[in-house]
This record gives sequence, structure tokens and C-alpha cells, in this order.
Amino acid sequence: MERSFKEEIKLLRLAEGEVFHGEGILAVTKALLQSGVSYVGGYQGAPISHLIDVLADARELMDEMGIHFEANASEAGAAAMLSASINYPVRGAVTWKSTVGTNVASDALANLASSGVKGGAVIIIGEDYGEGSSIMQERSHAFAMKSQIWLLDPRPTLPSIVRAVEKAFELSEASNTPVMVELRIRACHVHGAFTCKDNRAPAISRAAPLTAPSFDYGNIVLPPSSYAQEKHKIEKRWPAALEFIRREGLNEVIDGVALDGAAPLADIGILTQGGLTNAVLRALAQLGLADAHGASRVPVYVMNVTYPLVPEELTAFCAGKRAVLMVEEGQPAYLEDALGAVLRRADLNTRVYGKEVPGQPVDTAVFPLAGEYTGEVMQKGIAAFLRAAAPALPGDALAAPDAVAALKRRAAELLGAPVPNRPPGFCIGCPERPVFSAMKLLERESGGYHVSADIGCHLFSSLPPFNIGNTVLGYGLGLASNSAIGPLFNKRSLTVMGDGGFWHNGLSSGVSNAVFNNDDGILVIMKNGYSSATGTQELPSSPHQSQAHRATDMGIEKTLAGMGVKWLKVVDNYRVSNTLKVLREAMTTPFAGLKVIVAEGECQLERQRRLRPINAEKLRRGERVLRVRYGVDEDTCTGDHSCIRLSGCPSLTIKDSSDPLRVDPVAHVNNNCVGCGLCGEVSHAATLCPSFYRAEIVHNPGWWDRLKARLRAAVIGVLQPA
Amino acid sequence: MGAPRPFSILVAALGGEGGGVLADWLRDVAVAARLPVQSTSIPGVAQRTGATTYYLEIHPHGAAPDRRPVFALTPTPGQVDLMVASELVEAGRAMQNGFVAANTTLIASTHRIYATVEKMPMGDGRYDGRRIVEAALQLAGRAVLFDMARAAHEAGTVISAVMFGAIAAVLEKSGALPITRAACEAAIRAGGKGVEPSLRGFAAGYAAASWPAPEAAAPAAAPAPPATPADAFPPAARAIVTEALRRTADYQDAAYAALYLDRLRRVAAVDAGDGTLTAETARHLALWMCFEDVIRVADLKTRRSRFARVREEVQAKEGEPVHIVEFLKPGLDEIAGMLPPSLAPRFHAWATRRGLAERLSIGMHVRTTSVTGFLLLRALAGLRFWRRRTARHAEEQAAIERWLAAIVAAAPNSPRLAFEIALTARLIKGYSDTHKRGRANFERIFAHLVEGGRFAGDDARADAVFAAREAALADPEGRNLDATLGRHGVAPRPPREQPIRFIKPASRA
Repeated sequence: MERSFKEEIKLLRLAEGEVFHGEGILAVTKALLQSGVSYVGGYQGAPISHLIDVLADARELMDEMGIHFEANASEAGAAAMLSASINYPVRGAVTWKSTVGTNVASDALANLASSGVKGGAVIIIGEDYGEGSSIMQERSHAFAMKSQIWLLDPRPTLPSIVRAVEKAFELSEASNTPVMVELRIRACHVHGAFTCKDNRAPAISRAAPLTAPSFDYGNIVLPPSSYAQEKHKIEKRWPAALEFIRREGLNEVIDGVALDGAAPLADIGILTQGGLTNAVLRALAQLGLADAHGASRVPVYVMNVTYPLVPEELTAFCAGKRAVLMVEEGQPAYLEDALGAVLRRADLNTRVYGKEVPGQPVDTAVFPLAGEYTGEVMQKGIAAFLRAAAPALPGDALAAPDAVAALKRRAAELLGAPVPNRPPGFCIGCPERPVFSAMKLLERESGGYHVSADIGCHLFSSLPPFNIGNTVLGYGLGLASNSAIGPLFNKRSLTVMGDGGFWHNGLSSGVSNAVFNNDDGILVIMKNGYSSATGTQELPSSPHQSQAHRATDMGIEKTLAGMGVKWLKVVDNYRVSNTLKVLREAMTTPFAGLKVIVAEGECQLERQRRLRPINAEKLRRGERVLRVRYGVDEDTCTGDHSCIRLSGCPSLTIKDSSDPLRVDPVAHVNNNCVGCGLCGEVSHAATLCPSFYRAEIVHNPGWWDRLKARLRAAVIGVLQPA
Repeated sequence: MGAPRPFSILVAALGGEGGGVLADWLRDVAVAARLPVQSTSIPGVAQRTGATTYYLEIHPHGAAPDRRPVFALTPTPGQVDLMVASELVEAGRAMQNGFVAANTTLIASTHRIYATVEKMPMGDGRYDGRRIVEAALQLAGRAVLFDMARAAHEAGTVISAVMFGAIAAVLEKSGALPITRAACEAAIRAGGKGVEPSLRGFAAGYAAASWPAPEAAAPAAAPAPPATPADAFPPAARAIVTEALRRTADYQDAAYAALYLDRLRRVAAVDAGDGTLTAETARHLALWMCFEDVIRVADLKTRRSRFARVREEVQAKEGEPVHIVEFLKPGLDEIAGMLPPSLAPRFHAWATRRGLAERLSIGMHVRTTSVTGFLLLRALAGLRFWRRRTARHAEEQAAIERWLAAIVAAAPNSPRLAFEIALTARLIKGYSDTHKRGRANFERIFAHLVEGGRFAGDDARADAVFAAREAALADPEGRNLDATLGRHGVAPRPPREQPIRFIKPASRA
């Protein structure tokens, strides 16, 4: 695992009244323990990876409490785990990255929501939207509405988040409905403080197991139960939820107050998703309408629950107001539309300001329909609302957004050209990069071929310098996504999949489908040993299993053979020429079934994490350590940078030539080099240039090393020119 | 109106630089000082070497238990008090996004870590960092700019420690927050990992960001160089010529250096301008005359100065043996190039016919620090006496003469055209395929735009040569060059043959 939480998990043992200082996602874990969960599970992915990592590290604590933890094979598996709460009064929570994880989980979720739950079932959703996101930009909101799962979107402070998690279990039980708690990227990673409660050991647990199964046909999703469940949703669960939300005051109203002698602006108001509350209050402060502690002249209604909406609360807030602003991130504008409908039904004439909607240009549109509501967007939108809805406010107070625009214009002028983008990419020494170098060389000799990409670090291949990967369709779906592309081409196409994707979905949707249909495709499986993009979590085929998974022996090659894959080659990634040869063979073999190339090379992050302390310890003890790194000879490098176009390693960079005759920068390997050897392999495979060298540095040399070195130096020294 | 807003700190860094550790330190310092604080970040995949940010807000006054400040999760342009960038372009990005204003103190490292798109071009694709420094001085209320990478390297630590020191200095000196150097150092000690190097890096950052800045020592005046043959050339060319004479003599012999001088004099004689034409011709003539053949590469690889440079580059300590392994892959072209001009084409054709091209191209790992590897390379280097008789030599000298003749012919009427022709030599670089490609591009430009083609005048011709050269350097596939030449009626090269074996087996069709 990329990050260890051995220190942080001590926080999970804090008792009543003690103050927790830490990350948001860790606070969620503490809230789960305080809520008496019997089981937890999930699938890793930013921004909730740390939750899975923490749970994995907190095994000891959970064993003590009898809590069952499972690192699920996919989000579908995690969601299905919640079925324990259908028949039995046990609380459980699962987590994943959304919307992608919710997509995968939705079959189980829809069934779960139809059956309804007895014990609290909570899903912690990492809403991966906006800056820092790695997926398509969508909202999880639609899933909540379509399956009727309640959706909490708490204020992004630790006390609010913890309360939301605790209340989510109660809401779930009060309304027999699963509940999602949505946390945006920055809220997951926010560091703050809250006052703890004691952990609660669950009544039903591994320590105190169930003894008799419960059978109730009403829980089965088959007619007539399914019809009854649909009715139950509307007649019982929904009203019960509204009643609970109202009674517990899950949503908040921040009343408008006088500030510095200026009266509150009672005839306007702002409604916001809970998660955006702080951004709203900050924008109001920047516009002179709120103070640093959140006292505001403009009343604000905070929707910590964004589904279902409580119509009574909405009409009570809007009654008597000329205009309100709905602050809602992402599209479609579910909340704004629902608010409009509620006000219309109540025959209230309050104008609703909000998003720009295509085909309906209106002067109430102050926010963009899509995209993250950053500080800048928020300030601009709220200023535009106030200018329109509160014309009495002095104009200069609302001019902040103009100053921002002017500042950015000035910066652009001074810089002259936009600075280069710096997207994420393969790490130094990454074992996936050499495979793409080989694919690039194959492309060079045979022309282009379609590559169906998959989700994982290897998708960085689509960026410069490789620009490999024509489509990407979902996690583990690369091979399946190629199934109509392959047959429609006059040459073979290729699919790249990681070992993470393979175990997630690639095995069933991809390989079994391809073998079953006798597809003439090529599948390259990047076997780096971990779920690397999400933080190097363990996979069934990981080489170094933690105690919990020590017994597993789930090899990819064995699995493929068992599934009837006849053409299977394993390559060492770093041997580019050989990989190229095998790729060429896969492209040209008369064998017409699925051809699988398992490209082996351990994730360099994990490898270095393991090796560094070992080497440091050896050096400290004075033992011999051989350090290998690569370099470029400056006086033979002509500055063409072909090597960079075939590698893209961060440690292979450029620098000014110290040769006064050369104007172009020369290639240069910096000291972050881990000695993976790709540079040298590529310069051979592509016949690039003789500038690369490998240097082997002997630390703490033994007497034999020293003697050899001295003898060589003596001979060479005589013949060597300056 | 009420309490002031929190002090906001935005840290721009690259994934893996320890930005998270820095944010932790700052937060710990604030917590220890009982200042309400919040930090957040967007790690995700950005931690895989991409640009990322960490954002902190610290309330300057102690917490009132009943009134917690409202902290924001995202920075707002124009409202960042302290902008910290671990690298120069990241500082530029911050400015581009409006995070550096008159009320902002900017702390930025001046070193560059080049983005992939800057490293890829065949020429120089680097963003001009001077513009960022200029903009920083204009936009920021106070700009603290220094090379943090060097400071970190000298302290034997990572850049985040240096950044922390600089932040501590700014906070302490400006009095913006009640945070002291001692408190920051305590946070590093409490972290417990690599404490001593971190403290050294911290101290370096602290010193660099403290004001008034220490007086920089004035650079010593360079001694006047002794008189050389280079003095006969315009001042702009002299340093280049001096180096070129040394290089050509080192490459072959004194006669070769004399040939260089003769050639350059022909251009200098027609250079009526400020000497730029002579200078650039001098540069490219020297590089071209010292073309890298097997002999040259073997020679350079085995020198004492080179062994020393490698030791320094890989940071080997005194007494640590270093082995150097070369990746050499001479091919058919290199072998044929070593033969006399009369034999080379026949040998090349014969070997190609026999399908030896692939087999003769063998990747070799030569251990230059071993006695046998060293002797092998020295033997090759010793073929210098033979060089004047090789096909490669003849070929390069002919091309050089053709290039020089074009420059000399153009200069009297259009110095600009002559200059553009001189610069086309920039395309000749690299080895094997890279060299062939550059050479082919050079030939096409020469044939169609320098020696052939119809143009309204010399200026139009110079424009065309300039555009074609830039296009040739833009992408290795030559798409840009094809497009540029296409505008002058030159047909694109025929597409390369695709091997038929990549068609699917017939059984599947």
C-alpha cells in the first residue's frame, strides 16, 4: 500500500470527549466505529482510497470489536455486501469512488433499495468531480433518485461530516432505506478537528454471531413483492424519511443578521448543497456580506440532505422572499428544477436564480451549468445574483469578480504564452512505460493499430509522448470494448488492461467473452502487482500479500489457462526488444483466438518502497551495495530528444548543453533515476544513439572490488587520453 | 467588519515532492500555536508526477470555543496571502490562475522541471522562464525567488523542507501569523523522519527568504583572452571560432582545423552585417565537421575527463568504484561508412540484398571500465588515421561544401537568406535513423527551397527556408514539413510501405 496509516489508526481509539485532529476520510472511519457497524467494505479509488487503506490497517481494532472488513473485488461486490442489512438488524457501510463505482454497483444497489433494509446501510461516496478528478464528470445524484436511496451532502467540516455519517444510519433505519453520504474530493482530504464519542461494539458481530436465518418473501425482488416494495417506498419509507430529516434538523437555516449596522437582507436568500456551504459563506464574506465566522446578512438554507428534499422547509424558507439563489454543483440541475416545482405547487412567486440551461436563456442564470464551483466561480455567481436581486447594494462591493478577471488578464499578458500543462504521468522507472515504448516502435514499423485502453495508470499512455490508446470505456472493460472494433479492422487491434482491471471486471466481461466468442484480439495485461493508480492496494495476484490475504494463490496465468486461453506469453517489460518481438508475433501469428501477453514488472513505487529501507540499512552497516543508474554522455548527445519521445521518464530530462557550440538542450538523466534500464533498452531497440550509459556504483566496496578497480585503473590509466 | 478572514496559503507542487508533508508541518505548527487551521488537497492521480496543489487556511487569532471560523476548501483568485511554488512553471501557473496579486507574497523556486511537452521537440521546446520571473516581480506584493532544488540538494534533503523554511521566514518577518522559526523546527523534529537533513534544508530556505537579502558578491572580471586566429573574425563569432578550432584539431588534426578556418573565411568575406552570419555558420560548420562517427564516439567514450564526469554525475564518492557500460548498436550504415567511397555503396547494396541489414545491427553492451572493453573502444578510436579515406567522410565533406556554397552565393544579395541557409544545418544531428531523417529533411529543403523552386525574391525564399526548418523540427514524422513544402508545390513523400504480414490471417476474413 502506498500510504501506511499505522500512526493515524490510533485516532480511531479516541474516547468520548477527546479531540480528533485528522483527515476527513479518517473521521468518517471513526464515525462508523461510533455508529456500531457490524461490517464494512469497499473498493479503492480516489478520493476514498484512504478509507480502504485505513480499514486495512485497522484490522486489529476491528477484530477486537468483531467488525467484519472485506476488501471487495469490485464496487458491485461491496454494494452486494449491504444485503446483510436487509434481513438482519445490523449496520454496515461500504465505500467507493463515484460515479464510476456507483455505475458498477448499481445492479446491487437497485435491488437493495427495492427490498429495503432493516439495519442501517450506508454508502460513503467519494464524489470525484472537479479539479483533481480522474473520471468522467457526472453526479451521483441521479442514482439516488432513480433507486430511491437517500443522499446526504454534509457541510465540509469534520463535525458535520461525522454527524452526517451517524445520522445516516439512523435515517436508514427510520425509513428502511439505504443512505449515501457524498463527500467531494477536497472534503475527503480536509484536515480538521472534531470531538469524539466512544466506539460502539455492534450487538451482532463476528464475536456475537447470528444463529437463525430470517426468511421473508417480502424482501425478495420478484412479483408480487417487487410491486409491494415500490408502493412501500412511496407510502412508508419516503414520508418516514421526511419526518426524520425534519425532526432531527439535518438541514440548517442560517438566519440573516445585521452586520456592522447594515440590516439583514431578509427578502432574498441562498439555498445550497451542504458540501458547498463554506464556499457560499466565503464568497459572501468576500463581497462584504458575511464575516469570517459565517454570520451573514443573506439568509442561507443548507441542504445537508439533497435527496429527498423537504418541501415544507423549502417553502418556509422561500416564503416572503423576492428571489433566491440555488447553489448546486454539476448537471443536470436536479435541485433547482425540484425547487422550482415545489414553489410552483405551493403557488409561491419567489424567483429562483441558478444555472444557465441550454435553449432557455433567462436573466436568472448566474452560474454555469457544469463544472466545479471553485472560489472564483462561486464569487462570480453570487455577485451576479446579488446585483440582480438586491440592486440596493453598493455596486463597488460586488466588483471583486471584475478585479479577478483583470488580474488574470494582466498575468496572461505578462506571461505572454500559457504555461505548459503538466498532467500526471508514469512514475520514474514505471514498468508500464517500456511496454508502450515497444508499442510505439511496433507502430513505427507497421503503421497505426487501434488500441482499446482501460482504467489504471497505464491510461497515461494516451498523453504525450506516447499518445497510445484510442478509446477507454470503463474499468476492466478494455477487452470487451474492443469486441466490435477488432472484427471491423483489416488488421489486429490491441487491448491494454491492468491487473487491477483484470480482477475487477476484465476476467468476466472481457476474457470470458472473448474466449467464448473466439475473438481474434490481443490483450496485454500489465501485471505490476497492485492496484497502483488508487494507491497500490493489494490484488488477488499481488506478490506480497498482507496477513489477511496470505493464503491466496490466484495467479493471472493460471486463471487464463483455466479459462481456455491457448496463446499466452509472459514478457519482462524492461526488455523492450523482446516485448516488441512478442507484440509483432501476436500481430502476425496465424492463431486466430485470443492472444494474451502478460507484461510483468513490479510497480516501481512499491519496489522502491521496499528496497530503499533495505539498502539504507545495508549502507549503514557498511555492507556492499551496488547502485545502478543511467546517464547520457553530453558530448555525444546531439539534442534530438528521440529518447524522450520513446520514454517520457520524469528522470530523463533536458538541460542546457555545456558545449558552447550547441544551441539545443541535451538529454540528461537526473539523480532520481532508479536504474530501471529503459533508456538503454530503448536506445538499443530503436537504434537511437550511443549516448546512454549505465553506471554501476559500488558503495562500501570489498577488497576484491578495490583490487579490481585498482588493477583496471592502472592499465587504463596508461593508455587513456585526457 | 467582524474578524478578518483567515490567512490563506496555497502550495503548488509536483506529485511526489513532499507537498503533503509540508502541509502537515504547517498544520501542526498552527495547531500547536492554538490557531484554528484547515488544510486540504487534491492528491488523486496528480500524485503521479503531475501538477497539484495544497491549500491551507489559518485563522490569525486563537479559537473562540463558540465561534469557529468558516474555512473554504478552494482558494479564490486575488485572495491568496502566501503563494508557494516548488518550481518555476508552477509559479507561472499560479499567476495564470490569478493566485498572485498585490496582496500576495510569492515564494517560488527558480529551478525548472520540464514538462513532457517541453522535452519532446527535436529542437528547444522549453518555456521561457524569464517571463515568469518578470511577471512574478510585477504581480506579487513581494516575491521571494531562489533555487530551492539546489538548496535542497546541498542540504541533502527534499524540496519541501526548503519551502517550509522560506515560509517560516516570510511568516515571521511579516508578522502575518504568530508563528515562529522555533515552532516550525519543533514541528520537523516531531515528525521524526530525516530530521537533521530537513532542518538543514529548512535553515537554507529560511536564510534565502529572509530580508534584507545578503549582498551578492560581484562576479570577478574575466581575464582578457590571449590572441588567437579567432581575432580575425567579427566579435560575435570569436568565442565560437576559438572553441571550433580546438574541437576540429581534437577531432582530426591541425590540418583539419586549418580547413575549418579556410571554409569560414569564405563566409566571413561576404558577411557585410554584424557578424551573426559568420558566427552561426562557424557554430554549425564546426559541429558538422566533427560529425559523430564510430571513431569519434569511441574516442569520446574512453577519455579520462569523461570518466571523471560520469563519476561526478552519478555522485560517486572517493574510493567507490564505478563501472560504465555503453549501449552501442552500430549498424550496416556505420560499417559501410567506414569503407572507402568506392566500396561502400556496393557493400551496402550487397548486404541489403542478402538481408544482412538486421543481422549486422547488433546491440552491444561494452564495459568501458573493463580492460577489454576499453581496449576495444581505443582500437576503434585509433582508426582516426583512416577517417579521411572513409565513405562517410567524403559524403559529409561534399554536403558541407554544397551548404557553404549556397551561403556564400546568397550572402551578397540577401544576408537574411544566407543566414537561414546557414541555420538549416541545425537539422543534421543524431545517429542512425534520427540522422537519416534529419539528413533527408535537409536534402528536401535544399533541393526544393534553396537550390530549386521559384520565389518572388530572396526574402520570400528566406521565409520559406525558415518555415520549413521550423516545421522539420516540429515533429519527427515529418507531417509539418510535408505540409510546409506542400505550399511550395512539393509533393509529400510517398507513404512508407506497410508490411503485408500485418493483414489478418485469411481464415478469419
